[in-house]
Amino acid sequence: MSGQRVDAKVVMLGKEYVGKTSLVERYVHNRFLVGPYQNTIGAAFVAKVMSVAGRTVTLGIWDTAGSERYEAMSRIYYRGAKAAIVCYDLTDSSSFQQENLWVHELQNFEEHCRIYLCGTKSDLLDEDRRKRGVDFHDVQDYADEIKAELFETSSKTGQNVDELFQKVAEDYVHFTAFQVMTEEKGVDLSQKSGTYFYSCCHH
Amino acid sequence: MAADVHKKKSWEVSNGLLAPADGQHVAERSESPTPGLAQGTEPGAGQEGAMFVHTRSYEDLTSSEDGGAASQSPEEGQGDQDDQIKMEQISKDFSELSTQLTGVVLDFEEEMRQSKDDKLDLSPQTSRHDSVLSGKEEEDVTMDAWRMHQKHVFVLSEAGKPVYSRYGSEEALSSTMGVMMALVSFLEAEKNAIRSIHADGYKVVFVRRSPLVLVAVARTRQSEQDIAHELLYIYYQILSLLTWTQLNHIFQQKQNYDLRRLLAGSERITDNLLDLMARDPSFLMGAARCLPMAAGVRDAVSTSLQQARAKSLVFSILLSRNQLVSLVRKKDQFLHPIDLHLLFNLISSSSSFREGEAWTPICLPKFNSCGFFHAHISYLEQDTDLCLLLVSTDREDFFTVSDCKRRFQERLKKRGVYHALREALLTPFYSVSQVGISDLRHFIYKSKSSGLFTSPEIEAPYVSEEEKERLLGLYQYLHSRAHNSSRPLKNIYFTGQNENLLAWVTSAFELYVCFSPLTTKAAAVGAVNKLMKWIRREEDHLFILMPQTY
Ligand SMILES: Nc1nc2c(ncn2[C@@H]2O[C@H](COP(=O)(O)OP(=O)(O)O)[C@@H](O)[C@H]2O)c(=O)[nH]1
Ligand SMILES: [Mg+2]
Repeated sequence: MSGQRVDAKVVMLGKEYVGKTSLVERYVHNRFLVGPYQNTIGAAFVAKVMSVAGRTVTLGIWDTAGSERYEAMSRIYYRGAKAAIVCYDLTDSSSFQQENLWVHELQNFEEHCRIYLCGTKSDLLDEDRRKRGVDFHDVQDYADEIKAELFETSSKTGQNVDELFQKVAEDYVHFTAFQVMTEEKGVDLSQKSGTYFYSCCHH
Repeated sequence: MAADVHKKKSWEVSNGLLAPADGQHVAERSESPTPGLAQGTEPGAGQEGAMFVHTRSYEDLTSSEDGGAASQSPEEGQGDQDDQIKMEQISKDFSELSTQLTGVVLDFEEEMRQSKDDKLDLSPQTSRHDSVLSGKEEEDVTMDAWRMHQKHVFVLSEAGKPVYSRYGSEEALSSTMGVMMALVSFLEAEKNAIRSIHADGYKVVFVRRSPLVLVAVARTRQSEQDIAHELLYIYYQILSLLTWTQLNHIFQQKQNYDLRRLLAGSERITDNLLDLMARDPSFLMGAARCLPMAAGVRDAVSTSLQQARAKSLVFSILLSRNQLVSLVRKKDQFLHPIDLHLLFNLISSSSSFREGEAWTPICLPKFNSCGFFHAHISYLEQDTDLCLLLVSTDREDFFTVSDCKRRFQERLKKRGVYHALREALLTPFYSVSQVGISDLRHFIYKSKSSGLFTSPEIEAPYVSEEEKERLLGLYQYLHSRAHNSSRPLKNIYFTGQNENLLAWVTSAFELYVCFSPLTTKAAAVGAVNKLMKWIRREEDHLFILMPQTY
């Protein structure tokens, strides 16, 4: 059914404005767009082919909006994801506090989804250390607790961005090699929910 | 899910309106340059039926069918004599307006006010006619008025919580402090009403669509119907993000809910909609404009689009900068022009669709205000404005729909029309000089049965943004006169200082023409005749005559 073969679904999560779209832009197009903020509407999909240990892997990356409006629907974007990159803005402590929500949802609904915590906009810290709003060791402790990887990236300079996605792809390769032995069934993309009128009662 | 498609409500109602509400054939009087055309035979009428729900242009928004509004139903069966009286009245209105429709209070509103009793008039009656300016002063005032041309729009919940404000809340508040008081008393009144307050130099229009109240404070010379029409677009815009069901559910749960939380990030879409309505006649006409292109190319595009279908698809739309290239729909499903405008606005308001493939929930409120569709939005190529919009009922169907896009592009290449399509993008507008009528400056022609209109590029002397908006303002005035619910007019001719204007509304089409001020009425009538022939000759280039379905 799919014209575009995707090996691993990767979802970008995190509050609006933390830098998810910029991260994808940097990784996929190796650029950083300046100009007025363009919030993502709904979600955007982009596929990226990469190679891991001589094997090609296509990542299907879902960049979500992160706005409350689409929260009730975010499941359709992360369902069946192999990896979730949960972003927070290193200069904004409130953005880290919201991580919890996403992590909980993933742990509850997507047990096979690996979690990558990503602190964004590290270039702003290079300019001025005092801008750091989220302590590295606190996040490290949290990451250990939820068995997540932790990265600090800058889409502006490109720092650590490729490393992040490379790690995601490598883990996928290793993880599926292991999973094939333990579990036969993959994700059924045609699996439907009861209705497309999603429940709007998330308040 | 297919079943949900059938839950729609609005088109079933309005689809019965194949005969337009204003279908009074008496209007084709002897001075009409061509005999009345039956609907469906006018230039631009689709040969395979329509793509859109039939609407009665903007009355569709304000009429009671939509949930109750101020406009009364048109008085039926007026004879020629009545028309004659109206013609005299309107030219009087127009000449009193020879201030070129500045922001001053217009004469005809007074009549409208008298004809309705649900309005407040806060302004001292005496100043009304004094404020109509004359002679020399006029020029400057015109420019001044245009600089002051402002319309504050804001949306509140019924509990009085701000939802949206056009120019930042402080500004909106300061200009409307007194008005807020009056608003409170309005809130007690019946639901879904349109009300207005006329204060000196501006008017305040309220539209209540429970649980929201929409308010405009306008210094423009738009009629209150037009302003209410814009407010309803804002309301539908909010519905398209949330659905009517969700909106109501939220406020049932919590009356003083702060809706801004849910609308965060959408302000730009709403701002863009207001800007677009001030510039783009599509909204006024309740119709879509097509990108002009050779019929053969368009047909090949439509066929490619038609072939790239999927079970869950309801509409496939190819557009370029708010101009329609092709629209293919599921059989028996009609799009409402308002829903199409909301889609156009969504796309033009954000550059984010240029990255990757967007997959976003969207409610098409005129089709079904209860649920979401999922729209696949992407540009065909990075460097063109060709945007493909695929509307699906199934939110899980992204990859199938994405594959439709790939198949569509393949077909385009195979048919070798890609190049021709790109070529057409280079000339999105035609010059009015192509019509070959010397005093003709600009026109808007709408085919009612197809819901499509055509219009040349706006050229000199309407060069500055102000002049362009002024021209649209003139059309707005003509349009509101032609559709005024209590005194609709079919033929209007107005000679002014800066331009002569003509409006001709029949059951089949609407034509608004702008001439240089030197034309005589006889010449104008002759020119319209020639113009209609030209549109007929060019119709397969300017319209979609062969809409397709899957
Ligand atoms: N200095 C800096 N700014 C960034 C970086 N990443 C994103 N931004 C800015 O943060 C804002 C939000 O970015 P965006 O990627 O659109 O956030 P999203 O809403 O999470 O998708 C934009 O103005 C970006 O320019 C970064 O690495 N460094
Ligand atoms: Mg984004």
